[in-house]
Amino acid sequence: MGLTLRQFDGDPASPEPPPTLSSIIGTGAHRFDAAYLHVPFCFHKCHYCDFYSVVDADDQQESFIERLVGEVELQARHVSGPLDSVFMGGGTPTLLRPELLSRLLEAISTHLPLSDGCEWTVEANPETVTPEIAEVLAAGGVNRASIGCQSFSPRLLRALERRHDPASVPRAVESLRRAGIGSCSLDLIMGIPGSSMADWRSDLEQAIALEPDHLSCYGLQYEPNTPLAAKLARGRVEAVAQEVEAGMYEWTCERLRTAGWEQYEISNWARPGRCCRHNLVYWTGGSWLAMGPSAAGHLDGVRWRNVPRHASWQAGDGWPLLEDLERLDDSTRHGEQLMLELRLNRGIELDRLDCMVQGDGCEQRRVAIETGRRDGLLELESGRLRLTARGRLLADSLLCQLV
Amino acid sequence: MNIRNFSIIAHIDHGKSTLADRLLQETRAVDERKHKDQLLDSMDLERERGITIKAAAVTVPWEFGGEHYQLNFIDTPGHVDFTYEVSRALTACEGAVLVVDAAQGIQAQTVANAYLAVENDLELIPVINKIDLPAADPVRVAMEIEQVLGLPAEDCIQVSAKTGEGIRELLDAICEKLPDPPAPTTDKLRALIFDSHYDDYRGVVVSTRVFDGKLSVGQKILMMGTGRPWTVTDLGKNTPFPVQVKELGTNEAGWMVASIKTLGDVRVGDTITLQSDPAPEALPGYEEPKQMVFCDFYPATSAGGGKKGDFETLREAMERLHINDASFTYEVQHSEALGFGFRCGFLGLLHMDIVQERIEREGGVEIVQTAPTVSYMIDLKDGSSVEIQNPADLPDPNHIEGIREPIVKLEMICPEDNIGDLMKLCDARRGIFKSQQYLSETRQILDFELPLAEIIYDFYDKLKSITRGYGTMDYEIIGYRQDNLSKVSIMVNGQPVEALSLICHRSNAEHRSRAILAKLRKQIDRHQFEIALQAAIGGKIIARETVKALRKNVTAKCYGGDITRKRKLLEKQKAGKQRMKTIGSVNIPQEAFMAVLEQE
Ligand SMILES: Nc1nc2c(ncn2[C@@H]2O[C@H](COP(=O)(O)OP(=O)(O)OP(=O)(O)O)[C@@H](O)[C@H]2O)c(=O)[nH]1
Ligand code: SF4
Ligand SMILES: [Mg+2]
Repeated sequence: MGLTLRQFDGDPASPEPPPTLSSIIGTGAHRFDAAYLHVPFCFHKCHYCDFYSVVDADDQQESFIERLVGEVELQARHVSGPLDSVFMGGGTPTLLRPELLSRLLEAISTHLPLSDGCEWTVEANPETVTPEIAEVLAAGGVNRASIGCQSFSPRLLRALERRHDPASVPRAVESLRRAGIGSCSLDLIMGIPGSSMADWRSDLEQAIALEPDHLSCYGLQYEPNTPLAAKLARGRVEAVAQEVEAGMYEWTCERLRTAGWEQYEISNWARPGRCCRHNLVYWTGGSWLAMGPSAAGHLDGVRWRNVPRHASWQAGDGWPLLEDLERLDDSTRHGEQLMLELRLNRGIELDRLDCMVQGDGCEQRRVAIETGRRDGLLELESGRLRLTARGRLLADSLLCQLV
Repeated sequence: MNIRNFSIIAHIDHGKSTLADRLLQETRAVDERKHKDQLLDSMDLERERGITIKAAAVTVPWEFGGEHYQLNFIDTPGHVDFTYEVSRALTACEGAVLVVDAAQGIQAQTVANAYLAVENDLELIPVINKIDLPAADPVRVAMEIEQVLGLPAEDCIQVSAKTGEGIRELLDAICEKLPDPPAPTTDKLRALIFDSHYDDYRGVVVSTRVFDGKLSVGQKILMMGTGRPWTVTDLGKNTPFPVQVKELGTNEAGWMVASIKTLGDVRVGDTITLQSDPAPEALPGYEEPKQMVFCDFYPATSAGGGKKGDFETLREAMERLHINDASFTYEVQHSEALGFGFRCGFLGLLHMDIVQERIEREGGVEIVQTAPTVSYMIDLKDGSSVEIQNPADLPDPNHIEGIREPIVKLEMICPEDNIGDLMKLCDARRGIFKSQQYLSETRQILDFELPLAEIIYDFYDKLKSITRGYGTMDYEIIGYRQDNLSKVSIMVNGQPVEALSLICHRSNAEHRSRAILAKLRKQIDRHQFEIALQAAIGGKIIARETVKALRKNVTAKCYGGDITRKRKLLEKQKAGKQRMKTIGSVNIPQEAFMAVLEQE
């Protein structure tokens, strides 16, 4: 056989360059409800966590903030009206050096249009909330903190490889209050391996005693590709039995209800009027900006996610590269609305529900809703369809028929 | 011309194929350049596994006492599943070289194959092979041969197929001791078909041994059994590479091509004669091997949505392989639970493994193979009987008088120390003790009668582990026998799943069904209600497992703003559910049934 020459036809098969956020919001101005900023630094990687975060990267903080501030400036130009909430999550935003944190907060309040009374939350790891950081947060405009408390039991924190001293939680709450940040949410994890009903009661009681105005109680999830999931697969840890976890959940609902808390979502409770507005933007189809690596954003049915890795995120012309970019069709959008809004205790008004399940090809949704009502997962109540108490425990069995 | 027709027989791995290679080399049939180990094992699988599956015949020249000899010999497989290949080969011969490993001594298939040869009135030359091994003990092995087979110890020829030692002596002995072929009894053509295989270019190639008259190219021939005529287009011999010849004379062996399109047109054991001048009587043939072990093959990829294409790929692969190996049977099988697949019959477990491997390899499909079962004879109240291979085919229990199962005569050769444990094993497997005999000071031969169903249920593994690898076994089917056998139905929420039903002995029923239910339980996701898994014999529940009701199925978090991720997780759950079968309002994935039935 002779020489084989590589042949090129008119259509070189070079892959399309990955999209950047510029292709979505880079022209004109758009109406956004909120902004999310992701700060991916952590002191240590917890074993259950699958958020994008890096440890031992103190030397990267400066260049990171440099770039993030640039992103704030760039994206702010395309925001038409005031934002109702800002959320800084991670990672551990409170791990930033005070001067860098201060710079970021200043960029936010300078460039982004914020409404009066805008909810501005920062996620905090209790150990990192020093009086100094609390002051910086308050001075920068932050008015709400979400503290990753998870458990008050050193044994259970160890089971999660979560390194903080439980006593740091009340200290953090105290420092924040002194600095003037009175609105405080605590995150707790239910069903940590090795935990009993008594452990859980003790955790919840201690959280209530700190008088936060918001509580998130999450059932532990074994996320793929986390050390904890690997341990579970290898039999090194044993998951808490379904029955026990269900019992914990039912008890939680009852305990908080009698104490005057409002449950507004499957895993979220608030003192009256203190629901997290940022979360509600996510769950009711609002639009929000996403800044920083791995942050996910939404604008009128277009969803995207910035690339995670630090280096790839920092590449490019100031607009983040996107990893996922999705333009939702109507049916998918309706499916998402059902999935998110049925998780809210208030459920969905029947008028709105109708347009989500009336089209052709929605037969399955209608059947699932009927079956859900028959099986006691759903109920109709003052013109709205919503989950029952049983339905909240089995929500995915129902919701997977509705997406 | 002097002719010697013989087979090389032995227990598995005692060195038949290696010895055959040596014979080829020593007679210069094989040019050194072309020499590769185990020349007669031509299938990839044979070379890889180092075992012979098909018998192969070759012709080589030798000189002895100043005279020319034509040696036609057949290398045979040693494994018990392929005993029929050995019997076929033996009918084409007057003698056999019985190879025994100098370290291992007499083993189960040594005895079985030696008896086969004796039944066929063949002259035996005992050969002790592998004398180069440090552990070789030819004197002890010669004693065993004398003790068990009654062949004088001093007649044993000691060889090493590896080093070549003793090979010339063996060739001489073959010329000297094996009888001349018998004089023809008629002048009309009679040639025995002792094997056939399919070749992509030539179609069916028949291996034949001429007993009377001669076979020539261009002849119009008749196969006496099938009554079908053909025209001989090509004749030849393997030397070992195929060489064309014009004719095969009396007592010669070789191959024949006659534009035969499918193996189904040829019956091994049939007699070839001339159409214009037929012989009055056919040569004695032999019985076709019977499929004794059955299992289902399903396309593994069909789990991905029950695509028909995968089943079609499997069907093509089955058809293609069947052209080359007519000794397995297959028919389409369909069940609600498992979709489309094939019910297949095999000569034994190794045969089953080999077919499965060849289908996967040559057909490019992945197979899920169910655990093997046997065939049963069902005696009906009206006096008739039916044979079934599938519990689902069992007639209405009210019409059944009794169920009979295949019984084998099992011969085990094992170290004396393990006799007690083997007795216990056979006892637990419903065995009937027949006899016990010393083979040497440290080894014994044990004979039992045992249901085949018990043998295919990990018996061989047990035997090997009890004897730490030293025990060997051979078995042959001796008939069907009635026992307390019943059909066990498996039910999901009260609904029987026919594909999971089984026939087994009453004494095993609880144990076997509990194992199935336990496997099934692990495969079924919890539902919103409790699920009962039951095993029943004629309405009586004999085992039960429960899948508890689902108490919690909710993703706690929405992954911050990553809504897409949450949605995709739910979509995955949904897709999973859609692939499931619904039985008694329980969703069960096809993989679950497969996992329960799949062989471990
Ligand atoms: N040391 C030594 N090894 C040998 C000799 N003859 C055969 N072997 C080895 O024994 C093993 C089995 O040899 P085979 O010739 O494949 O045996 P077989 O009897 O044809 O086996 P089946 O066809 O599977 O029944 C191989 O690893 C050979 O290399 C010998 O004389 N000496
Ligand atoms: S501190 Fe939070 S983001 Fe960091 S590793 Fe732990 S759980 Fe994950
Ligand atoms: Mg061999």
